[in-house]
Amino acid sequence: MTTTTAPTRRRSIQPKFAPWLFLSPAIVLFVAFLILPMAYAIYLSFVALRVNGGAFGVRQLTFVGFDNYVAAITDPELLAGLGRLLHFGLLSVPITLGGALLLALLLDVPGVRLARFSRISIFLPYAVPGVVATLLWGFMYLPSTSPFNWMLKAVGLPAVDFLGPQGVFGALANIAVWSGLGFNMIILYTALRSIPLEIYEAAQLDGASEWQIAWRIKIPLLTPALLLTFIFSLLGTLQAYSEPMTLKSMSDSISSSFFPLMKVYRDAFALDDTSGAAAMSVILALGTLVVSVLLLRVLQRRTFEQS
Amino acid sequence: MKHTFRTASVAALAAGALILTGCAGGTEDSSSGPVTLTYWTWAPGVAEVVDTWNAENPDIQVKVEEPAGADDIVAKVLASQRAGEGPDIFAAEYQKVPNLVLSGAGYDITDLIGDAKGDFTDATWSLTTVGDSVYAVPQDTGPMVFLYRADIFEEHGWTAPTTFDEYAALAAEVRTALPDTYLGGYPDEGATLAAYSMQAGAQWWSTDGESWSVDIDGKETQQVVDFWEPLVTNDLIDKKHFFTPEWNTSLNDGTLISWMVGVWGPGSIASVAPDTEGLWRIAKMPSWNGETTTGLFGGSSAMVGSTTKHPEEAVKFLTWLNGSKEGSSLLAEAGLFPASTAGQESLSSLDVPVLVSGQDDFWDVAADIASDTATFTWGPNVQMAFDSFSDAMQSSVTNKTPFVDALTKTQDAVVSDLEKTGFTVKK
Repeated sequence: MTTTTAPTRRRSIQPKFAPWLFLSPAIVLFVAFLILPMAYAIYLSFVALRVNGGAFGVRQLTFVGFDNYVAAITDPELLAGLGRLLHFGLLSVPITLGGALLLALLLDVPGVRLARFSRISIFLPYAVPGVVATLLWGFMYLPSTSPFNWMLKAVGLPAVDFLGPQGVFGALANIAVWSGLGFNMIILYTALRSIPLEIYEAAQLDGASEWQIAWRIKIPLLTPALLLTFIFSLLGTLQAYSEPMTLKSMSDSISSSFFPLMKVYRDAFALDDTSGAAAMSVILALGTLVVSVLLLRVLQRRTFEQS
Repeated sequence: MKHTFRTASVAALAAGALILTGCAGGTEDSSSGPVTLTYWTWAPGVAEVVDTWNAENPDIQVKVEEPAGADDIVAKVLASQRAGEGPDIFAAEYQKVPNLVLSGAGYDITDLIGDAKGDFTDATWSLTTVGDSVYAVPQDTGPMVFLYRADIFEEHGWTAPTTFDEYAALAAEVRTALPDTYLGGYPDEGATLAAYSMQAGAQWWSTDGESWSVDIDGKETQQVVDFWEPLVTNDLIDKKHFFTPEWNTSLNDGTLISWMVGVWGPGSIASVAPDTEGLWRIAKMPSWNGETTTGLFGGSSAMVGSTTKHPEEAVKFLTWLNGSKEGSSLLAEAGLFPASTAGQESLSSLDVPVLVSGQDDFWDVAADIASDTATFTWGPNVQMAFDSFSDAMQSSVTNKTPFVDALTKTQDAVVSDLEKTGFTVKK
């Protein structure tokens, strides 16, 4: 019937201070630098500077409801920017992840030489700040200073217009791949390193070659890490800003609203339309959130149910 | 009970943090003693001129700060004013003045300027007037001149063109005689196009006090783009944008031999084209239809900030700096082309800029050109017009569509932006 239990101590009803004390700096910073600006941006997106009366009326802050959102959604420039972003993403993300996977697998092959040197040198471009990397590559793309065109000219071939309207996507994607490959490779390599060696021994006993081990064992076990790097790359692509902005001064093909975030910056600071820019950034953030959640939902079942 | 205590303590911590972050640096209160004015500008050399004022005026001290370049200063001024800490005086390019005034950034100094108006030509003074009120004092001006490589011209027997048709013919001749070289560039952005168009008589914005009219795609501006289009499509004119590294190089090595720019041009490219010192000259601009007025490209004023606590002192300082002979000639020595008539008259005693040191009558030519400049009203959304035009022009050149389309796109964008802000636009 009743089981005898050891006498329980009277549970203290004093609230525990220590955890909250340790968390408070992080909470304060989180609220001050993330929550408050977000709330302010959402507030800004519902107001706007409007003139009422005459040709020289001063612009006042007025509540405009969803006007900014409607204007942002129906803006053809925003849709065009998203389209260009898609073009850029389709070039940079597969190449970055595919390259990172290939290099991680190669580095994981037993008996590989120069492993540490390769790891460091592949990772090094990630340490170069985005603006510096863009300027570096920019001078390599400019017709008058480009070593590639110089070599092509020396052999008698026509020069490639890296900064032309078609070439500029490849140019930007190249910078993104160059910068991001190392970081993603390190994540995948670390995940590979944590696979228990017994699995490989079992596979080798069954007579699997290195290629079959890679294809049948390593890659399936890497799917959580691949999902992680894919989401990171997606978020990074959606927020592409510093590379096109820096390359804009060298290329005629990059307009001031080439990518959505550039348009947000221009509207907010060059055109003093912070409300329209706020509405646009809320829409972009919500879109990013929806895409990430959907991706995780769809792929989570596949990746995490077997681990 | 636990939950409410937890949420309460979190809320208290957050509130405490907010209060602390809300305490910004205290505002200075000048009760007695010297008045200190903050002056935000980007022009090099102004600080030395201000030192002269500070030495002679111990009760009005001016502190020069350089928080931003010309492109970013508007955003910074507006942000700081909205935070309650704006500068007393700041540099405002003429095309930004109406936008600044309509954003509430300028202080109405109409009653404080006395007879400073007489120090400037009417055309120049109108650039700092919005409606019937004055908000700024003109500082320097940029009448367009034809800057060219006199040595190369002489070598081939060319003379500075007096009409734009002569310019087009000369551009073709340059390409045949010197296959690597271009005569000059074309207006691929708004400020240059505006300068050409105002010379042709265009008025992009006009108002009757109640509503605005926009005429960016009018016949004068169309004449300008129709002129440049065949030169661009037939590769007779350089397509590089100014102040890019490649453009700098071509100025220095002689593959670009003229530039139609404000009279401040020689000073601004001296550092990027040092090998060409003394080889350039200026001349009057070629004319579209026989007119003698020249357009304005650049030039700035000093605007009194709306949050200032010392408007009278600010105006007193500015009338000395920009309007008086002493202040303007000091500005001229610092490299600015003064907007005031007294300043322009004092120029002949100065050294000629290094790039044009071969032209002894440089200042006379410059002053003569500056005496006859076009009147032009800038609208409330100039930056939007410039951005739309650069983007539209870029796509016209890349997709080989008519340049006039770029004008139509710009016109539509400007009109709809004005209407969105709440202005009435007369069609």
